[in-house]
Amino acid sequence: MKDRISIVVMVDAVGALSERTLHNGNLSLVDDSAAGSQHQGTPDLVTAVVPGQVVQWTPIHVDVQTPVEIHAIEFLSGAPVPPPADETVPPYPVEPSAVPVPWTGADATASNGHDNHDLLVWEGVVPYDMTPGVPYRYRLSLKLHDGPNSVLHIDSPALLRV
Amino acid sequence: MAQQHGIIVLFDVENALRTRSLDGNTYWFDNMKFLGSSGVGTEQLETIVPGTYFLDGSQATEQVLNWLPAALGSIPPTVPRNYLAEQARAEDRRTLEELASLSAEGGVGETEVKQLQRRVGKRARKAESGRGLTPAKLLDVTGKATSSTEAYNYPAPVITDITGEAVTEKIIYPAQYGSPDMIYDGWYWAATVDTSRPGVYAYTVHVQLHELVERNDELVWESVDLTCESSLKIISDPKRNGFTGAGLGVLPLPPVPAAG
Repeated sequence: MKDRISIVVMVDAVGALSERTLHNGNLSLVDDSAAGSQHQGTPDLVTAVVPGQVVQWTPIHVDVQTPVEIHAIEFLSGAPVPPPADETVPPYPVEPSAVPVPWTGADATASNGHDNHDLLVWEGVVPYDMTPGVPYRYRLSLKLHDGPNSVLHIDSPALLRV
Repeated sequence: MAQQHGIIVLFDVENALRTRSLDGNTYWFDNMKFLGSSGVGTEQLETIVPGTYFLDGSQATEQVLNWLPAALGSIPPTVPRNYLAEQARAEDRRTLEELASLSAEGGVGETEVKQLQRRVGKRARKAESGRGLTPAKLLDVTGKATSSTEAYNYPAPVITDITGEAVTEKIIYPAQYGSPDMIYDGWYWAATVDTSRPGVYAYTVHVQLHELVERNDELVWESVDLTCESSLKIISDPKRNGFTGAGLGVLPLPPVPAAG
């Protein structure tokens, strides 16, 4: 078993921003898992993982001067998310099919007051209580430069415990 | 992700040659405004260089600076380099064709000769000590032959060195590189940055402009060396885990994954 799995996120930032989508060939995911990943090179990558492995996501921009960073990685939940302790009823109806796990979000603020997502390292350990054989889809949000239209996401990639 | 910084230095060549100074004749523009560069588009650009380090103190990402010189009133750098040579050749070809048709018709008027003389244009040599510029017909920005000192097209400014506080303090390591990118004559200046010592550091760009002067009844391109200054603001912050905000942890998987 490999200790680490790298998932490389290749992005055509100019294509993604002008088409407002990470599909249409503007994003490609590739990993180096030896356990039988599927759909390599597409936004639908299913990465085969084993508990205890460290998974790391790295963005690479095809145009070297376009800023591309990972904005967030949120695993999608199939069950209603339990409301926080101080709230008995969710403030809005929760769509049970794809709800991101509540995520506090690491602070990306740099010392000069600007957000710099280059500061964030996106890696984590595959937990032992992960159910085998079921894909855990996640929302991969990318930040391309700055501004109101800078964050784009896909919900299609997944981790799969083999 | 390591970020490539582009820094355009736009020169008002004509004014700089007249005043023999780049003060007030440069405009600086970089792609880092969203991370905190200030004075973008002016002479007082301060380029932000946001460094990162791992918890053991080692530098985590490499920042690369690229300088892109450009000139006001010149042919845009995106036009192919052989544009002027092609245009000069086309002008010569047209002149020869007209000359041939003139002799065929037999009569040569004074106006036709004047027109042809203008087409032949003037040629400028490089100075004995000069470098880089080959003798060429003087053309304006539209590629037409000209003999007017007002209309001709200045050769692109050439960066010859980068010095100053940022270099002597070993904050940046500038060098000139060969490049497959023909836009900048196949050469460009770039530097890597040591982001471990935050602060504001000035640097000096040495530039060679070219001036057309008449010497011994000949037009000669002579080099004029000038300098201009800008600065870098280096900051450095620790890397942190995107999921936990601190160190490595378990992936935040839901109890039940989404269907599909």
